[in-house]
Amino acid sequence: MTRKRAERVLVIGLDCATPQFVFGPNRYEMPNLQALAARGCWGLLRSCHPPITVPAWASMMSSKDPGTLGYYGFRNRKDRSYDAMFTANSTAVKEKRVWDILSRQGKKVVVLGVPQTYPVSPVNGWLVSGFLAPNTDSDFTYPKALKTELREAVGEYIIDVKDYRTDDKDRLIKQIHGMLDNRFAYARYLMDSKPWDFFMMVEMGVDRLHHGLWQHIDPTHPKFVPGNPYENVLRDYYRAVDNHIGELLTRVGDETAVFIVSDHGAKSMHGGICVNQWLINEGLLTVRDKLDGRKRIEDCDIDWSRTKAWSSGGYYARLFLNVEGREPQGIIPADQYEAVRDEIVRKLEAMTDHEGKPLNTKAHKPEDLYRTVKGVAPDLIIYFGDLYWRSVGSVGFDSIYTFENDTGPDDANHDYNGIFVMDDRSGRAGQELQGLQLMDVAPTILDVLGVDVPADMQGKVIN
Amino acid sequence: MKGITVCLSGANAADTAKTLGARLIELGHNAEQIDSEAVNRLGGLAGAAHACLLLSRNGVIAVSTCAGLKPEGETLAVEIDGNDTPDFAAEKILDTLASAGLVSLETGDYSPEEEEQIRRRLASLGYIE
Repeated sequence: MTRKRAERVLVIGLDCATPQFVFGPNRYEMPNLQALAARGCWGLLRSCHPPITVPAWASMMSSKDPGTLGYYGFRNRKDRSYDAMFTANSTAVKEKRVWDILSRQGKKVVVLGVPQTYPVSPVNGWLVSGFLAPNTDSDFTYPKALKTELREAVGEYIIDVKDYRTDDKDRLIKQIHGMLDNRFAYARYLMDSKPWDFFMMVEMGVDRLHHGLWQHIDPTHPKFVPGNPYENVLRDYYRAVDNHIGELLTRVGDETAVFIVSDHGAKSMHGGICVNQWLINEGLLTVRDKLDGRKRIEDCDIDWSRTKAWSSGGYYARLFLNVEGREPQGIIPADQYEAVRDEIVRKLEAMTDHEGKPLNTKAHKPEDLYRTVKGVAPDLIIYFGDLYWRSVGSVGFDSIYTFENDTGPDDANHDYNGIFVMDDRSGRAGQELQGLQLMDVAPTILDVLGVDVPADMQGKVIN
Repeated sequence: MKGITVCLSGANAADTAKTLGARLIELGHNAEQIDSEAVNRLGGLAGAAHACLLLSRNGVIAVSTCAGLKPEGETLAVEIDGNDTPDFAAEKILDTLASAGLVSLETGDYSPEEEEQIRRRLASLGYIE
């Protein structure tokens, strides 16, 4: 199909927006988004490994895999020591993202709420950073004066929801809707007051609502109670998102190509695997602490002379091996590294659930996932139970299975597929596309704008 | 530090020069503006051209907006893109200077307190523990 070049591109990012609610047979009513898909094209958008906000949005916007980006989640090992960590904020992003490329082509850009944009870097336009900004006293906008302008015109910027881990669901829902309204009010103001060729915003509330309330809407969730008062909370939220999308779409015409994308999807979380407890049980990790209660692994006194592996918790597990000559007190001889790693993979993938049924855990070696592996990558990236189970890093559990979360209620895990909708005004008439991947988005945006796609981008142009 | 003379021309050259000078000083460099007033004080274009050499030899980055000035010593000539705001044009020039190893563009990061604040937020959100 011959693509009609667009003068401008609008990207609406919905963190964690999940295909089953947008495209599936039981999709929610989202007339604006679905009309856009019916005019243009749509499909599942395969996330990166791991399917987590960081590194996913940067992978999407730079068209580089996380190995090339050199970080594998929000918190990463800084070096081969055991405790030096860094948060992957914007300073970790060494690759140019779409707005950097377009800025250098003289295009005017507006970037709002995209993860990994704090600390802010100059763009040829305006930037409001995302939820890695520490607070609204920080310099979270470019230019700096934009913060005051926005505060006076729209109100205080809501960086993220507060006190997220709560059983007070009514307050949480109210907060998440408040953040949605605030983010789109910022978008409307920026769209109306700034000249732009590229406009991108990311709304985080979808993710927050999924994690906070999934058990109330999904009959397959172990804790679902039919007739509970929150059964329609996601439907209502997706509809509210769609209303805001509709308001933005009234501000653009045929000269603008529109993308609606998400970085990953969501699914029911059935429980947690206590990965470090499992390593202790397997004789691969030794802690000197008396474990008479739950304790973060970071707070444990690990006996490195008797530890072969340790892991971090989160929506997936990052497992590290203690390798002689690589880690300060490594004990796995380098020539046994692969054998030890393969043995751990075998054991992890053979793991069963609490009822003895196969868990379908996947343990990936980073070199199998990425073109290149920069930074300090985990030795294994593990998805417990095909991501129906999260990774719990704390120790002191009686069992490796837990159905409580140390940090508070959390009902959903991330899923591999996000959403992709594009109306590039080329008359695609609702074409469904297959085989899309996050890294395809950036080169497609450049192509739509008639800008050369850098040769080192790893995705393909969607056409 | 190594010096150089950056000669700006085109749209917004004067505003870009001011922004660039301020950013260079913010980044810890010595920077001087060579505008028409400076050229007059230096006795004309020839004197200003030689002053550029002396400045760059001493690690100063001189920023010139004077048409006709042909600085002695290492020079970077930049025509400003009319689409660029002065501050973004300045950033592009800083990128070029950084690529040449003349400036370092390390951006600020979290304070230890902010880092801990963010770590707690990420743990609360479930991304980490």
